[in-house]
Amino acid sequence: MEDYKYLFKVVLIGNAGVGKTCLVRRFTEGLFPPGQGATIGVDFMIKTVDVDGEKVKLQIWDTAGQERFRSITQAYYRSANALILVYDVCCQNSFDSLPQWLNEIELYAGSKVLTFLVGNKVDKMSKEIPTQIGQQFAQRYDMTFIETSAKECENVEKLFMDIARGLTKRARDLNLQPEENNEFPSGGSTPISTFSCCKI
Amino acid sequence: MTGCCVCCSALRPRYKVLVDNIFPEDPQDGLVRINMEKLTFYALSSPEKLDRIGQYLEKRLNREVKGHRIEFVFIAMDALDQLLVSCHAQSLNLFVESFLKMVQKLLECDEPELQISATASFVKFANIEEDTPSYHRRYDFFVSKFSSMSHSGLAKEETRQKIRRAGLHGLQGLVRKTVSDDLQVNIWDPVHMDKIVPSLLFNMDDPSFLATDAESPRDEEHPSYIAEIVFRDLICRASYSSIKSVVGPVLIHLDNHSLWVPNQFAVKCFKIIMYSVQAQYGYIVITSLLEHLDHHVKSDPNIKGGIVGVLFQAVLISAGGSIGTSVLEVFNILLRHLRISVDNKSQNTEMRNKEIEFEDEVINTIGQFANNLPDYQKIEIMMFVMGKFPQFTSDEDVGGAMDSQLQMNLLKTLLKVATKYKTVTFSNTFPPEFLHPLLRMSLLDDPQMRVTVQNILQTLIDRHNNTVKLKHVVLPADVSQLDLTTEKASRQDILFMKKSGMQFYWHIYENMQMSSNKVDNFEALFCTMSLLAIELGDAEILLELLRLALDIQKMVVTSAGLPITHKCAIHGLIAAYINILAYLSSISSLAEYVQQVIETRKKEAKCLLPDFAYNRNNRPNRLSDLENSEDYRSSDLVKENCLFDQNKIAECLSSSGHDASRLSSSFIQKPYNAEMGGVSRSISDIQSINIEIESVDGSPSTYRKQYDEEITVESLKKMLAESSGANKDSEDKRRLEILETFRTAPFEEIVARSEAKSNHFHNKLNEILDNVEDPSERLLTEEDDETGSQATIPVFQMQFPDLFVY
Repeated sequence: MEDYKYLFKVVLIGNAGVGKTCLVRRFTEGLFPPGQGATIGVDFMIKTVDVDGEKVKLQIWDTAGQERFRSITQAYYRSANALILVYDVCCQNSFDSLPQWLNEIELYAGSKVLTFLVGNKVDKMSKEIPTQIGQQFAQRYDMTFIETSAKECENVEKLFMDIARGLTKRARDLNLQPEENNEFPSGGSTPISTFSCCKI
Repeated sequence: MTGCCVCCSALRPRYKVLVDNIFPEDPQDGLVRINMEKLTFYALSSPEKLDRIGQYLEKRLNREVKGHRIEFVFIAMDALDQLLVSCHAQSLNLFVESFLKMVQKLLECDEPELQISATASFVKFANIEEDTPSYHRRYDFFVSKFSSMSHSGLAKEETRQKIRRAGLHGLQGLVRKTVSDDLQVNIWDPVHMDKIVPSLLFNMDDPSFLATDAESPRDEEHPSYIAEIVFRDLICRASYSSIKSVVGPVLIHLDNHSLWVPNQFAVKCFKIIMYSVQAQYGYIVITSLLEHLDHHVKSDPNIKGGIVGVLFQAVLISAGGSIGTSVLEVFNILLRHLRISVDNKSQNTEMRNKEIEFEDEVINTIGQFANNLPDYQKIEIMMFVMGKFPQFTSDEDVGGAMDSQLQMNLLKTLLKVATKYKTVTFSNTFPPEFLHPLLRMSLLDDPQMRVTVQNILQTLIDRHNNTVKLKHVVLPADVSQLDLTTEKASRQDILFMKKSGMQFYWHIYENMQMSSNKVDNFEALFCTMSLLAIELGDAEILLELLRLALDIQKMVVTSAGLPITHKCAIHGLIAAYINILAYLSSISSLAEYVQQVIETRKKEAKCLLPDFAYNRNNRPNRLSDLENSEDYRSSDLVKENCLFDQNKIAECLSSSGHDASRLSSSFIQKPYNAEMGGVSRSISDIQSINIEIESVDGSPSTYRKQYDEEITVESLKKMLAESSGANKDSEDKRRLEILETFRTAPFEEIVARSEAKSNHFHNKLNEILDNVEDPSERLLTEEDDETGSQATIPVFQMQFPDLFVY
């Protein structure tokens, strides 16, 4: 028997060093790893959360921000249900490359993907991107905006819970299983097959 | 969930009891063997229960995972593996579902040990051949997870390596499982390949591993090594349609990780690909590389160079199969890049140098491609390359806009291809439609290019590696010192020379009087002439070559336009050349005479000897130096006894029983000497037609066929106007000479000539018949041409005896 109702794939993207891995680890393991090295390729975490009494499993794919891994990370967000686009509020550069990321999302991600814009590292003093700017940017591109701090555990839980809720709501609204092409429910009681978590 | 209670066991289904029994009290004891055997036996005897066993095991496993009772998890996996391996029933299908769910469950855990164990189970599963289709089974998660494992960045070296290894094995298992079966998910889908291939390459590209040389025993457990094996495995399974989806990610990976410069790793990758790929698909890889080069048109020349370097290596490996169906397309792409690179005139010297490096790479690669072609296609390719020269395209293009650098590069390309060509018979090597444009190029403006053209000729003519020995104009008293390899010319080759020799002679002759000649040019010409003599050293041909030498000498003596240095150089060249001819013809009296002349020169006119004329150290720097130079004092008026006398040579020849009568008739006419002085590009449209008419031995019809685009009404008009005026005198002379030729020439020669002519006529006729695309126009041109030349030039009437021979 399955221990969850819905399975969603969440992919984190954004420039190198904005704190994607820290966000994920804060959420999944509840710790802030000091001196976290650069992610190589893609990392994978899983976390089951509770949304309105239903178990929702989040498959979190944490991608490398470095340019050289771009091709393999692109392959991952093709099948994502939700994307978390992260920038560093203390790094103008990471904010400036957002349009480029949006471009990639448009090229490679599915059209129905839920996108969150996250300004990370708000605990730092030297904030360069005011909340207002981030908010505006997110609005313009139809994203949900949230500012977080992986270090201080600020809004991290909220971020992922919002995603889980949003996706669950969407799945229910559509009155569909989260996977459109899940035409073969496998033996168990749940309609969701873990092997059909693919859609392009 | 609480069904483990012993008192309830009697009420529970038998399979549950059996499953529960395999778990020991104490996890340290491991799987209970006897009970496991019982379970297996049960499963085998009632396979319809297998799926339920699977589900129940899965449930148990989930519980253990949740409770972090790792030992029990391992025991459950062990049991699953054993069941999987022992059961080959129809119902395995449903069992597999539970099995895969469990594997996934474990892979989702954070514990490296669990992930590794799950992968091991998956690999076991992958080796099982299922007999029932499983359309709905999807491996997306596994592809993603295994790829992510291959990229593991765990801090602990040992664990990281283990995880990576497991990931790679998992990928291999996936490929094995899915690739052979059409009913399985299509692993070649880009969605999967975009993850799998970069993961493999990422692991292969381990500098610490690459560094170890091939000799030392390889660490077979190293992820890099495993990745390589998996990669090979993947490539050799790829079919026609799937090669591209593998090569594509490889190229992108190399781009992203900037691995083109330096390109060792790229070369390594493509070597693996080329060695592993099924031979008949090799060309797809090559094509992909070529296309990738197109992508990089605007990139740094270093990157392009890296790609072409890889291409070169790949072509080297794939040998015959490298080209595929579109031979010319391959060359066209490379030539286009050559052109783009040349056009890319960068002011920056550094960039320019890089471009030049790239150009050289391209040329080498073209050579390598050509090397893989059969010989007849090499000639075709050379003709194709020549077609890229502006002179050979339409008239409007001749504007001279063509970059000389590009021409040089094209010539280098030609040379590269030519060196790969092994001449057997000359008639095959030099079909008229190839020979003529090539010779035409030997009269290019740029002296350096002319040298290259000569080099092309040399490599094509030379069959015995004599070129190196003749690189310099030398005049040894004993020619055998040069250690020339000679072989008797075959009848076929002699016939070829009779047909086309005149073209060689004429072009060499013209080349001699180019005022832009440098020492290199003369040396190259000497080499070509000597090679002709060596390769086609039949008595009659030698006679003609002697005649050529004498004609050149006459030209030098009479010509006013040439600078003194040139004259000396040519005199020296002729002396050395006649010396070689004398040796080749083994006429001792001739050799003696040559020595005699040389002795005289030594005393009276040192500057006419190659030792002086080809000594780069004593070249005068300024013209005034040259005028006043002691050494040159007498050269304006060369004394008779320093020259080779035609009559004396004739004597030598006849004394040894050769027919020297033809020596007296100089066959080289200079019908447009005057024009030559002004325009050093001697070949313009009209002139090329004139050559045809002037040279009796030539084969006019062939020329025309090839350059029919040049015969325009305009040119005919010009010709009409000119031939009546300026060329009248020479025309008359010519006519007399043709008469003379037919009176004196040996019968065989005349036969050979007319034979050639009728052959060409035949070819021409076929050509016309074949030419269906625009027959009316083509014919019209031919007719115009025919009538035009007959009406104006009486030479053709004089050719009738030719036909009567038959």
